[in-house]
Amino acid sequence: MLDDVHAKFQVDARRRLWIVGGGLFGAFSILGGRLFYLQVMKGGDYRNLAEDNRISLQPISASRGRIIDRNGKVMVDNKPDFRLAVIPELTGNFSDLLDRLQPILQLSPKQIDSIYNRVQRQRSFLPLQIKSHLTWEEVSRIETKIHTFPGVTIQVQAVRDYPQGVSAAHLLGYIGEVNDRDERRFPAIHFRSGDFVGKSGMERQFEVQLRGREGVREMEVNATGRQIRQLRQTPSRPGEDLKLTIDLGLQQVAEKALQGKVGSVVVIDPNNGRVLVMASQPSYDPNKFIRGFTAKEWREIITNPDRPLGNKAIQGQYPPGSTFKIVVALAAMSEGKLDAKESYYCPGHIIREKHKFYCWKRKGHGQMGLVQALAQSCDVFFYKLAEKVGIDAIERQARRLGLGDITKIGLNGEKPGLVPSRSWKRAMQGLVWYPGETMITAIGQGYLLATPLQLANMMAAIANGGTVYRPSLVDLGADELPEVLQWGHINSSQMELLRKGLREVVHGYAGTAKRFKPEKVKAAGKTGTSQVVRHKREESGEIIKSDNYRHRDHALYVSYAPADSESEPKLAISIVIEHGGHGSSAAAPIAKELIDYYFSQQDGGGDSSGNS
Amino acid sequence: MEVGIVVETADKRGYLGLGGESSLGWGERFARFPWSLFAMLIILASVGFVVLYSATGGGDNLPLLWRQMARFGVGLFIMISLGVVGGEKLYRRYAYVFYGISLSLLVAVFFMGTMGMGARRWLSIGGFLLQPSELMKVALVLALARYFHDRAALMRFDSGGVAVPLLMIAVPAIFIMKQPDLGTAIMVISVGVTVMVVSGLSWTLIIGSLVVFGASVPVAWNYLYDYQRQRILTLFFPEQDPLGAGYHIIQSKIAIGSGGVFGKGFMVGSQSRLEFLPERHTDFIFSVLAEEWGFFGGVALLLLYGIIIIRTLIIANRASDRFGLLVGVGMTSFFAFQVLVNIGMVIGLLPVVGIPLPFISYGGSSMLTLMMAMGFLCHVSLYSKQHGRSV
Repeated sequence: MLDDVHAKFQVDARRRLWIVGGGLFGAFSILGGRLFYLQVMKGGDYRNLAEDNRISLQPISASRGRIIDRNGKVMVDNKPDFRLAVIPELTGNFSDLLDRLQPILQLSPKQIDSIYNRVQRQRSFLPLQIKSHLTWEEVSRIETKIHTFPGVTIQVQAVRDYPQGVSAAHLLGYIGEVNDRDERRFPAIHFRSGDFVGKSGMERQFEVQLRGREGVREMEVNATGRQIRQLRQTPSRPGEDLKLTIDLGLQQVAEKALQGKVGSVVVIDPNNGRVLVMASQPSYDPNKFIRGFTAKEWREIITNPDRPLGNKAIQGQYPPGSTFKIVVALAAMSEGKLDAKESYYCPGHIIREKHKFYCWKRKGHGQMGLVQALAQSCDVFFYKLAEKVGIDAIERQARRLGLGDITKIGLNGEKPGLVPSRSWKRAMQGLVWYPGETMITAIGQGYLLATPLQLANMMAAIANGGTVYRPSLVDLGADELPEVLQWGHINSSQMELLRKGLREVVHGYAGTAKRFKPEKVKAAGKTGTSQVVRHKREESGEIIKSDNYRHRDHALYVSYAPADSESEPKLAISIVIEHGGHGSSAAAPIAKELIDYYFSQQDGGGDSSGNS
Repeated sequence: MEVGIVVETADKRGYLGLGGESSLGWGERFARFPWSLFAMLIILASVGFVVLYSATGGGDNLPLLWRQMARFGVGLFIMISLGVVGGEKLYRRYAYVFYGISLSLLVAVFFMGTMGMGARRWLSIGGFLLQPSELMKVALVLALARYFHDRAALMRFDSGGVAVPLLMIAVPAIFIMKQPDLGTAIMVISVGVTVMVVSGLSWTLIIGSLVVFGASVPVAWNYLYDYQRQRILTLFFPEQDPLGAGYHIIQSKIAIGSGGVFGKGFMVGSQSRLEFLPERHTDFIFSVLAEEWGFFGGVALLLLYGIIIIRTLIIANRASDRFGLLVGVGMTSFFAFQVLVNIGMVIGLLPVVGIPLPFISYGGSSMLTLMMAMGFLCHVSLYSKQHGRSV
């Protein structure tokens, strides 16, 4: 019996032994299967993860392109910013080192606290920034004794510099740290947080060209982030320099003339639409955007009612005042309703539908032809002319000269101005166009609005015989053909008549700008005064002037030169001085200064400015 | 009492052994020694040295490699010694004594052990650091084998018959868990239970206990505090804590997976060379192998382990008595479970519990205990039925 029991045990235990063996085989198969899953099926995924672990990509910054004027003068540049950094693992005693640096760096207690705070949180083989914006003196004092400061390095980083300060600030723009909106605007660029990006002006418009392309250094790092070796490197491509059509010398003459005023100057080459000057006052120093504003400075900028950050040349919309009479005259000519013999009598005012429309000259101008009506800016002449021509022809002509729509100069925030029409009024107000509104429009008031850039471009078209070019800011070389927005359609004899009137403004015995004749060349122009508020009038029709500065009229002046029939016009100018009073006294002198400067430079020889 | 009589009778009749203490000549002993197992272990250890060389930075830390080789040498000596000394009944006779000594040392650790890495595991004796929990693994196998050998004739266990071996397992397991060393405690319990199962525990009881255990888990879960549940969950789902508990296992899976089919090559595994892989020369050394030698390397190692396990199971199968068979099964399962738990852990199938990979991971205690286990297996092989017939 015991034999049976023992034998049975032998069989049973041996069977169980191989059951255990089978179980182990099953378990080992699971391990093998899992290895197959991880290594064969998911191997690629894990390989990527391992590469992510191993490789750290370090950007190599690309230097941002400079911006220069048409003569190669640097308007926007990069300059080195020196920063002192310490690699804590190389310094030995860290606080001892900091104590020895202190006489040179003069760190504030707050900065020192922050350094001690950061040194504990950061890996000791990574550079720790101690101080940025080092002065030359600090750099040289440390460099000469660098061997006594183990672990100290001076790092150089390029920062944006605007050497001309406030000059052309609006046009050039500035750069700032990238935000969500910038990322959406440039989907092709891979920004990293803290990157700088053009926020306005040319910096923004030509961001892609200016920034170039970042390079990348692939470093192998270990688990703690220490760099082991460099694997690959793609060099950076520096940004392209941007050459503007701006003439910095002329720009600065304009800015000097605008000093203390609020307004804008635009100068365009009438032959191709290239912008030589785009000035807006008040301005700001774009360097402040790089280094940072104090709270007080920033508050002053954003609370200033004259809005220093706005570019008035493209964003300021003003009633064009009497400068619009040019449009009315051309409208009448193209309709065949105006020639040299046409004349009207100006008694000082006319009455239409029980409403009195005054000429600026209460006593009246008497019998006026076009030339004198322009020269003396007779309102009644243009009231009557407008009556004859009608708002539709005036609107058509205004648009042909580029008013009422953006010039497509390519700057962000450009405003279109406004040219009213019957359909516009019906759409906006649900009312019919009244004949009286045509009269108001004829002298550039009422609904009309234009930007200084539009006015300069209009003047360029007058100077070149009627072609409206798309104004350009980037100098693409002499071969680049300008883009035409509107072809001229006025025949030359008619245009000559208009020009004669505009010359009379400056050179005529009764011209409104006769006191501001340029010294070297003849000029043509038109003054304008645009009402900001409706003035109260006395019984006699005399204007009761408001004491409020903000109620004073805007002063406008548009001009081109040279204006004699032999020479080709070189400059088309528009000037707007907000609340400047009369166009003749506040705006016209600036045009004289610009023209004088420009042509004295020409005569001086050697300077190629303007001859593109 | 009755049980004792039965055993005595059986023993005298010679069914449970060769009758008297047989003694072999030294030449015979060495001739019968299982040299094939010996050779396989040398191959396995050599694979370990190669991987260890890479895992320690390739020559950066040669003393570490020398130390491991020296330990292996000492281990081989222990294995051969345990295999050839004494007569057939030597270990059966002293099994309970060995168990008693091991248990006392374990208790001593509890009161006067040396702390290290947050646990109290070592006992300092004459300048040597002893890890009694390692000793306990082999001592428990011997004691259980003895217990079931003595009850060979019994096909059914009464309550006392189950209670005694359960206590023999539970007492050391609790002390080990208190150290704390969860991994070793689980190993001790698994090995002990395996020996019980093979020794003839009724299937009803085995399946019944499994059902009861399975049913009690959800109940117990309800009684746990939130933080305890969290700790258990992290054990099983380390990905939820990628920078803490999960970091090891995530990096290990990346290392293994990125090895692909053929591996990255010797000494060029980025995960281990660049220190992303933690514990790479100890518990996670398999990841280094799998990263550098790929799927083929990993499977080759599994096959090598498999062959060794089959060889030791054959030894157990041919054992001349019940003690030998149970020792063979116990030592095999001890070796095999350690492989399964370690690899299962580094490939993300089991929680991270700190069990070294046999003969590959750097470390002394584990190596020496394994060599002891192999020595006992050799001893069983020496007196196997096969040889018995031939003599």
